[in-house]
Amino acid sequence: MKVSPVDQAVITQALTAAADEMGIKLIRSAHSPVVREAQDCSAAILDRKGRVVAQADLIPIQLGSVTHTFRACLEHHPLETLREGDFLVNNDPYSGGQHLPDIFLFSPIFLDGALVGVTATVVHHIDLGGGAPGLNPDAGDVHEEGITFPPSRWSVERDWNGGPFERLVRANVRMPEATIGDINAQFAANAVGGERLKSLCRKFGRDTVFAAMDEMLDYSERRIRAAIAAAPDGSYRGEAWLDDDGRGEDPVPVRALLTIEGDSIAVDFEGTAPQVATNMNSPFASTVSSAIACIKAVLTDPDIPFNEGAERAISVTAPYGCLVNPRPPAPVRARLLPSYRVVNAVMNALAGAVPDRVIAPGFDTTTVSCISHKHDRGYNIYLEIFGGGYGAGPGNDGCDAVDSMLSNCSNIPIEAMESDYPFFRVEDYSLRAASGGGGRQRGGMGFQRIYRILDDGVTFATYGDRFRFAAGGLFGGGPGAKAETLVERGGQRIPLRSKQQFPLSRGDRLIVRTGGGGGYGPAAERNAELAERDRLDGFESNPE
Amino acid sequence: MRVGIEVGGTFTDLVAVEGGTVLTAKVPSTPASPDLGAMHALDAAGLDPAEIEELVHGSTVATNAVLERKGAAVCLFVTRGTRDLLLLQRHDKHAIYDLRYRKPEPVVARRDVFEIDERMAADGKVLKAPDRAATARLVRQALAEGGYEAAALCFLHAYANPDHERAVAAIIQEAAPALPVTCSSDVTREFREYERASTAALAAYVQPVMAGYVSRFSAALAKRGFAGRFSIMQSNGGRMPAEAMELNAISALFSGPAAGAVGAVRSVAGAGFRDLITLDMGGTSTDVALIADGRPELASMTRIDGLPVKTPVIDIVTVGAGGGSIAWVDDGGLLRVGPHSAGAAPGPACYGRGGDRPTVTDAHLVRGTLRADAFLGGRMAVDPEAARRALEPLAVRFALPLEELADSVVRLAEVSIVRAIQRVSTERGRDPRDYVLVPYGGAGPLHAARVAEDLAIGTVVVPPNAGVLSASGLLLSDHVHYRTRTRRLAVSEASMGAIRETVEALQAEARDYLAALGIEAEADFDRVLEMRYLGQAFEVPVSLSGMDLAHLRAEELARLFGEAHRRVFEFAKPHGDPVEVVSFRVGVRAPPPPMPAMGRAPANGRAPPRSARLTERGEALEAGLLARAELGPDAMTGPLLIDDGSATIYAPPGWTAAADGHGNAILTKGTGP
Repeated sequence: MKVSPVDQAVITQALTAAADEMGIKLIRSAHSPVVREAQDCSAAILDRKGRVVAQADLIPIQLGSVTHTFRACLEHHPLETLREGDFLVNNDPYSGGQHLPDIFLFSPIFLDGALVGVTATVVHHIDLGGGAPGLNPDAGDVHEEGITFPPSRWSVERDWNGGPFERLVRANVRMPEATIGDINAQFAANAVGGERLKSLCRKFGRDTVFAAMDEMLDYSERRIRAAIAAAPDGSYRGEAWLDDDGRGEDPVPVRALLTIEGDSIAVDFEGTAPQVATNMNSPFASTVSSAIACIKAVLTDPDIPFNEGAERAISVTAPYGCLVNPRPPAPVRARLLPSYRVVNAVMNALAGAVPDRVIAPGFDTTTVSCISHKHDRGYNIYLEIFGGGYGAGPGNDGCDAVDSMLSNCSNIPIEAMESDYPFFRVEDYSLRAASGGGGRQRGGMGFQRIYRILDDGVTFATYGDRFRFAAGGLFGGGPGAKAETLVERGGQRIPLRSKQQFPLSRGDRLIVRTGGGGGYGPAAERNAELAERDRLDGFESNPE
Repeated sequence: MRVGIEVGGTFTDLVAVEGGTVLTAKVPSTPASPDLGAMHALDAAGLDPAEIEELVHGSTVATNAVLERKGAAVCLFVTRGTRDLLLLQRHDKHAIYDLRYRKPEPVVARRDVFEIDERMAADGKVLKAPDRAATARLVRQALAEGGYEAAALCFLHAYANPDHERAVAAIIQEAAPALPVTCSSDVTREFREYERASTAALAAYVQPVMAGYVSRFSAALAKRGFAGRFSIMQSNGGRMPAEAMELNAISALFSGPAAGAVGAVRSVAGAGFRDLITLDMGGTSTDVALIADGRPELASMTRIDGLPVKTPVIDIVTVGAGGGSIAWVDDGGLLRVGPHSAGAAPGPACYGRGGDRPTVTDAHLVRGTLRADAFLGGRMAVDPEAARRALEPLAVRFALPLEELADSVVRLAEVSIVRAIQRVSTERGRDPRDYVLVPYGGAGPLHAARVAEDLAIGTVVVPPNAGVLSASGLLLSDHVHYRTRTRRLAVSEASMGAIRETVEALQAEARDYLAALGIEAEADFDRVLEMRYLGQAFEVPVSLSGMDLAHLRAEELARLFGEAHRRVFEFAKPHGDPVEVVSFRVGVRAPPPPMPAMGRAPANGRAPPRSARLTERGEALEAGLLARAELGPDAMTGPLLIDDGSATIYAPPGWTAAADGHGNAILTKGTGP
């Protein structure tokens, strides 16, 4: 069936709009600041075969996993067995998921008794149990990181709203009101998407909508393939390193071999370090999403809809048991760290193929700042995700103090934090004025956050990277500044490791500094006007 | 005589009312000094400023100052530790796959931001008061070096307690008595420091520009004998005396679209239409707004050039679909229209000003819904051959007859408009079928019926003077003043007293403010409580306008919130789940005198006098052709093209058109296929 150009445009726009609307409603009805302020969540619409056709522009790494988590659900509960009122859940890193806090919730949508599609939302939940509130940096396996909900089917009427699944969740998390509230927001967003999908099917007829969905996938595939075909054929190598595994001192390499052949790309991670004992392993779904996100960002215009069609032209392989394709039960909570080195290694390889399309390495690290407080009535857990400076591009300075490429979390306003978390106060939130790598184009700057702790019984937990290896410059540009975390206590400065848990007491000052991005081209070629502007504003490039 | 003058990007429109007569004029705008265009409009209409009792003005002066970065040199004072507030923003990207992403550029540079050693707690308790002497020293030094034309302040938690902002503002005023000073707590009393700081900085940035413009314009008018009342339109759809606007320029940022929406509401109110969706389609973009019960909804935040502005704005959604939007084929082979526009220069290919890209206007000429001999009422020559040439390559690409390709281009533009209307309706839990569509602007009436059809709206109401409706809106607008305050209160019988007191205090403040300007307000107040379930971060507005506050019970308030929440989110929690009020917004208004009725002598409408050929929805049609004045109370059957001076009204097959007794043209969808 061929859909007219006009109907195709209407249906494409309507489905994209419906996914966006799901995202907006999810954020606006959620309870935890990590969702409602930081927006660590995503939404998507899948077709009747379970393929992602439209996504809200939220968190790239989560979006890349929607397909894989749903496919794992289907292995246990095939499409034809789904019934109206069912929902499916999966947060298992070893069944297509990311890390445990990201719960994928799917609602099959029926019209006149027939399945017309599936709506999906992902939320980073503030706490799902495990060995420490919000984040357990010491976990030795995935079980110490929290509760796993394997790919499974439930019934809204029977199992939610006081039913067994809701009680199971409630019994296993430290902030049940927030978690149940956030899952309710997922249900609400899924319902909104479902309504939009049904009304589209009523208006155009199911078969037209199905045909238009097929075309959406083909369309993205065509555009990605056209972009790949324009890049020179060949094999290109790239690599990147993590500082360490969080305990030892040895750097952990990620190596990529990228092969462009006609209109397809193959990426292989042979030569990457073996999986590590700490939480810095990248589940394979994260690795695939990261590699594809990087290739898409480098080679194509940002307006190509990201759906399953985009993945058809790119194949990703990695040895089983390595850092980017770990064996269970390896812990994976900090999976974005290796995922970012996947991005860096792939970008590094692409620099050989299309040097004028890549950017310098950025800080490209997720720094988690998790501060929890145990009080008489339970827990209060603050969690925020920090980016840093972007790498500079051939025609632009790197963006300052912004979330890195695979994520897109907002900050939590100081005024919201201090009203929700009375156990600390923010004394400083500022750019690190000399943290961007020098260059013809300057790397983006990182930032600093200083918390004053106001009560005892407070714990800080974190993971981060680039404490030892900065983001390097490209084509003669300088490196960005490294990251660091310190505690000031009674006149003493205690440096913390990039991955650790640390008890805090009243009066402590906790200082978190994120790093800058690398510069692009030699600094001597920098435009004088830009240099003067930086000088007037008190910005310098990283002295290293 | 009462006169409204609206300065737009391309044209300056004027509407004058004297006794029972209405006079209109349209002249080209003069972007370098917009007041000149306004004077030209007065001349074109042959008006003597000495005879004008009341002049209402709307302009894009404030908007352009931001878009072109031609505002004042502003210094910003912030809490210690937050100097980079405007650069850090919200740490997110508005385009997630863009490797070369840049954040929106703030209007105040880092070198002009100064930290004050002061601190409030979240509950408004003072943690550290600013030291008077040290602050005075810092302020004097900052001002001595900067050459600033305005100052802004944004301190943490000033929404909860503005004392420190006020104290430091006083110190600044002592040091520089002539310098305008804007406190964030005066601009908006809501939490989230970046959004509040951005608003305060923008307010200070446009302040001197607007004040200069208003005083220059006032002086020029006075020189020509004008001695009447002079007021200016605001983004919230109400107006303020010009002298007050000099102190509150930020509220004029979106005055143009607001004037249009008010014009639409008031123009069709006489005929009994109170629930409407407005559609203003111009050369580069289309604005739509949803109006329930005759009251435009206000959004509490909007953006300009990517920067957040937290002042009440009529909730208008803009999409990049206008007559100048360009049709093109992307690298995936999809036919697309917009968002790139040929604008006014070079303009559509048919304008013959050097444009060769095919636009929506060209497509209309080719498919016959615009006619070369009657373009802008016959006042502008266009080249239909140039339009055909521009569209030809697309027709070849898709193997479609030229007229059908043109038809597809128009329909794709309509798809974007439909999408904009869904954003203000279905996405907010409103069913478009409960509304009539009110189109205006040059191209609105041409697309309205088909857009309505896609949304299952059965009635289109084209108001009188649709081409200059924004200028009418100025004369039809109320004097309006809003007050907002953040005050978190859990809803319970015990807190109802505090809720009532807060609303009453805001009412008194708003009323006194207008009274001080010599304006007597109505007894009715707009009262909106921003509410949420305990634990949520985003609020849902709950209107208490027209309610008896003295007898409002907590249970009733919670129920009203539940209904509003269900409308937006399609669910509400079980009754009894804790609910809180987060902020209050109260508005007071003083209405203008009524416009004269626009009744027309009914013509004998049966068969349209002339006809024209056109292609629409894939079909070749013979459409009836008439002037708007020839439309009578008896319904004519579509397809019809109705010339309305600077606009064309299209009634498709299956629709009828008739004039009502209030000057509106009513298009109605038949019950047939």
